[in-house]
Amino acid sequence: MTAALVSAAVGLWLMAAPAVLGYGGASADSDRVVGPLVATFAIAAASQSTRSVRWVNLLPGAWLILSPAWLGGPWTAAVNSVLSGIAVVALSTVRGRLSYRMGGGWGILFK
Amino acid sequence: MELQRARTGTDVPPGWDYNPADWSQRIPIIGVALLGCAIAVYLALFQYGIVADVWEPFFGDGTRRILDSPLSHVLPVSDAALGAFAYLLDAATGAIGGRARWRTMPWMVLLFGVLVGPLGAVSVALVIAQPVAYDAWCTLCLASAAVSIVMIGPSMDEVLASLQHLKRNRGRFWRAFWGKSA
Repeated sequence: MTAALVSAAVGLWLMAAPAVLGYGGASADSDRVVGPLVATFAIAAASQSTRSVRWVNLLPGAWLILSPAWLGGPWTAAVNSVLSGIAVVALSTVRGRLSYRMGGGWGILFK
Repeated sequence: MELQRARTGTDVPPGWDYNPADWSQRIPIIGVALLGCAIAVYLALFQYGIVADVWEPFFGDGTRRILDSPLSHVLPVSDAALGAFAYLLDAATGAIGGRARWRTMPWMVLLFGVLVGPLGAVSVALVIAQPVAYDAWCTLCLASAAVSIVMIGPSMDEVLASLQHLKRNRGRFWRAFWGKSA
C-alpha cells in the first residue's frame, strides 16, 4: 500500500510539474495526461483486493521513460519524465503485504 | 485501503478473513459517494445559474472556465448534474441489501461494481481535459474526481466475493445471481 501511495504521489506531481518547473508544449501535455492515469491506477491498487492493478502502471511508466526521446522540449521536462517513469515502473513491481485471505482472489474465477 | 476488519460469523465468504459486505465496510464507501454527490450538486447549481458564484481557492477563474466549457455541456444535462446522479446511484447500490448481500443479492453487488467503474473513468478523463483542453484547473472538480477514484478499490472486494459465489454455484448460475435460495 505504501508503494501505491508513493506512486499516486508521483502521478500528482506530474500533474503539477509543468507549472512548477515551467514548461509547456508536448512535454506538458504528456505529463498532464499520464499523471492522472498513474495516480488513478495507483490509488486503485492501494486496496488489497485490487493490488494487481499496480501492473497497469508499467505502461504509463514506460511511456514516461521513453517519450522524451521524441517529444523534445526542455531538459528539465525530459529529466523529470525519465526519473518519474523509473519511479513508477519500480513502484508498480512492489506488491506489499497482503494481510487478508480473500477466497483465492480473482485468479480462481478463471480456473 | 482496508477499512476495518469485519468478522461476522456465517456472513464471511468461504476462504475469507472478513465479510466485504459488512456495514463497517460499506458505510464509508456510501459516505464518500454522498460527499461526491454533494460536491457535484453544488457545481451543477452553478452551471445552471442557480448559484451565482463558485468556490475556487487556488486557480483563479479556472473553475468558471471549466464549468462553462463546451465539454461540460456536450450532453443534454451538464457533466456535474450527470455526476451527481451517478454518485447517487453508487450510494444507493452500495446501500441496498443486507450484510450477506454478496450471496443474497449478487446482482446488486455486481451492478454496484459496474457503476463505480465508469464514474471513475469519466472523472479521470475530465481531469485530463482540464489543463490539456482548457489550460485551467478546478479545485472542486478535482476533489470530486478524487472521491470517485478512491471509491473503486474498496468496492471491488465485495464484487470479488459475489463472483466467487457465482463461480461456486455455476450449475444454477441465474438462481444464484438473483439470490434465490442460497
